[in-house]
Amino acid sequence: METPATRTRISLNPLRPLLRNPVALKELRGRMRGPRAFVVLTCYLIVVGGFTTLLYIAGTAATYNTTGEVDGGTLGRVLFGSVVAIELFLVTFITPAFTAGSISGEHESQTYDLLRTTLLPERQLVFGKLFSALAYVFLLLLAAIPLQSIAFLFGGVDVEEIVISLLVLLATAIFLGNIGVYYSAMTHRTLRANIMTYVTILAVILVTTAGAVIALAIVEGLDPSTSSSGSEWVLLVARGIFVCLNPLTTLLSTQQYLVNQQTLFTFKYTFTDGTTTTLPSPWIAFTIFYLLLSVVVFFATTRHLKRIEG
Amino acid sequence: MSIDNPETMETPTGEALAEAPILTEVLPELPTVMDEQDLIIETRNLSKRYGRLQAISNLNLQVPRGAIYGFVGPNGAGKTSTMRILTTLMKPSGGEAYINGYSVVTAPREVRRSIGYMPDFFGVYEDMKVWEYLDFFAACYEIPEAQRPGLINDLLELVDLAHRRDDMVDKLSRGMKQRLCLARTLAHDPQVLILDEPASGLDPRARIEIRELLIELAKMGKTIFFSSHILADVNEICTHIGIIEAGQMVAQGPIKAMRQQLMPHRVLVITLLGRLDEAKEALLHVEGILGIVDLPPEDGKIRIKVEFTGEDLRMSEMLQALTSKGIPVVNFAEESSDLEAVFMKATKGIVS
Repeated sequence: METPATRTRISLNPLRPLLRNPVALKELRGRMRGPRAFVVLTCYLIVVGGFTTLLYIAGTAATYNTTGEVDGGTLGRVLFGSVVAIELFLVTFITPAFTAGSISGEHESQTYDLLRTTLLPERQLVFGKLFSALAYVFLLLLAAIPLQSIAFLFGGVDVEEIVISLLVLLATAIFLGNIGVYYSAMTHRTLRANIMTYVTILAVILVTTAGAVIALAIVEGLDPSTSSSGSEWVLLVARGIFVCLNPLTTLLSTQQYLVNQQTLFTFKYTFTDGTTTTLPSPWIAFTIFYLLLSVVVFFATTRHLKRIEG
Repeated sequence: MSIDNPETMETPTGEALAEAPILTEVLPELPTVMDEQDLIIETRNLSKRYGRLQAISNLNLQVPRGAIYGFVGPNGAGKTSTMRILTTLMKPSGGEAYINGYSVVTAPREVRRSIGYMPDFFGVYEDMKVWEYLDFFAACYEIPEAQRPGLINDLLELVDLAHRRDDMVDKLSRGMKQRLCLARTLAHDPQVLILDEPASGLDPRARIEIRELLIELAKMGKTIFFSSHILADVNEICTHIGIIEAGQMVAQGPIKAMRQQLMPHRVLVITLLGRLDEAKEALLHVEGILGIVDLPPEDGKIRIKVEFTGEDLRMSEMLQALTSKGIPVVNFAEESSDLEAVFMKATKGIVS
């Protein structure tokens, strides 16, 4: 009979080193076994595909230009932007659902003590849980790339934009996954971990959106004759922070700079007094900030799990 | 209540017994402890406090290497708390605890390497096959991938689950899950097994299977430290016993020594058809008799309890003294100083 060991020896799977993490292997096996994984993926694609179709129908009607032809570039961008927005929405909902039960579920099913008395390092436990959940989210994102790529048929969208949108979506998923596992480790109760994760996400979205809008309103209302460039800098940075903390505003403003200034990595900002400055594009700040924050949250989770019950 | 045959006691119907001829077999020989001073588990003044509740106070546990140590006490006496400290799951409030010479506080990793732990309540993962379950835990214990298939087969063979290798874990019966969990604790070949109520909630057959497995493991050189509130389990398979009550160790040591220490006198119950005074008179001439007590009559027959010290020869002399005078003896039997009596004597019934 073929044993698991003989199978691994001939395996050319590039993910093999990652699967040496026992938790990741176990979780992936459990997640992909049975119809659930297939059903979730299918539903996800139906939702994203359905929206894309609707947008296409609505878009072709709305983007007729003056010569009576469909404006392909605009339609392409609208379709692309919409697919990314839907994906962002789904990732925001799905990732916490996959991770908020990761550690608390072990408590609830009375398997945590068994794990804790093994030699498994805490970081491997956290990483395994995170990796298996995110691997599935990545699968969802990759599966939707063909839908994003429909925009190519109409023009107006470059490969770089798909790569950037994927990066922002991945950074979002990684951060949300870490938040989910963090609360899961803190509470011992999956329901509470879920609530805390969603409340945190909602707070981030509300605060950043409101902050960005307010900062923008103040900048727009500035009187060039009275404002100093110093105060404008403060406002610019404040607005930048709010914009770059929110994946949706990050994507929108990145797209805006890309369309208006044709630059991918930087953008030029013109002050009210006419001087200009060059700043990094929001997606760079967003991705770096959330990946760093993810690392911090990851270590906080590990640290918490290392603590022995007093 | 007799505790000599616990299985019959807890069998709800006769059917279970009929299906399990194994129940009537002779108890196997227990392993012997070579050195009583070579302690593999040791606690010194171990204490645990939950808020205002003192769960364990100044507990000095001493488990020699190779022992099957029964940790007995009523529910709530502090057994599980002690075990959670020994398995590095909980910090003690005071005192020290060592396993295999490693402190549970300062060297938890070495302690985990030395122990296999089975909690009183544990879950199994759904969506997992039996071999995958063991493979997972073997990986958690850092067993190299190439060694795992052979190890898994050996473990399944040992706990008699080889035929369920590819079944889903959650489809197993309670007893099988318990055995699987025991196999799991053995994955890294630990020197000590810490088992919290390993036989609780099992049917008589499963309990005996676990019991035999424990004896087999002890013969393989493993020290077994297990808790129980079922004295019969302890009586039959332990070499050592510790009795805990209200967080304090009330007695511990080799089981034989404990019996002698707590029950130094032998007790004989004699049933007569009559001539009580003559019988008492005859018995008083035998050496070693400490006292004679009248017991309430049963079915109109007179019963007396005789406390004495000494060898079996004394009993023979007593019987001779009675029969030589023609006193009608219908029953003459020593009351075994069983563990239940030891337990009742040791504990005060503070927690029950």
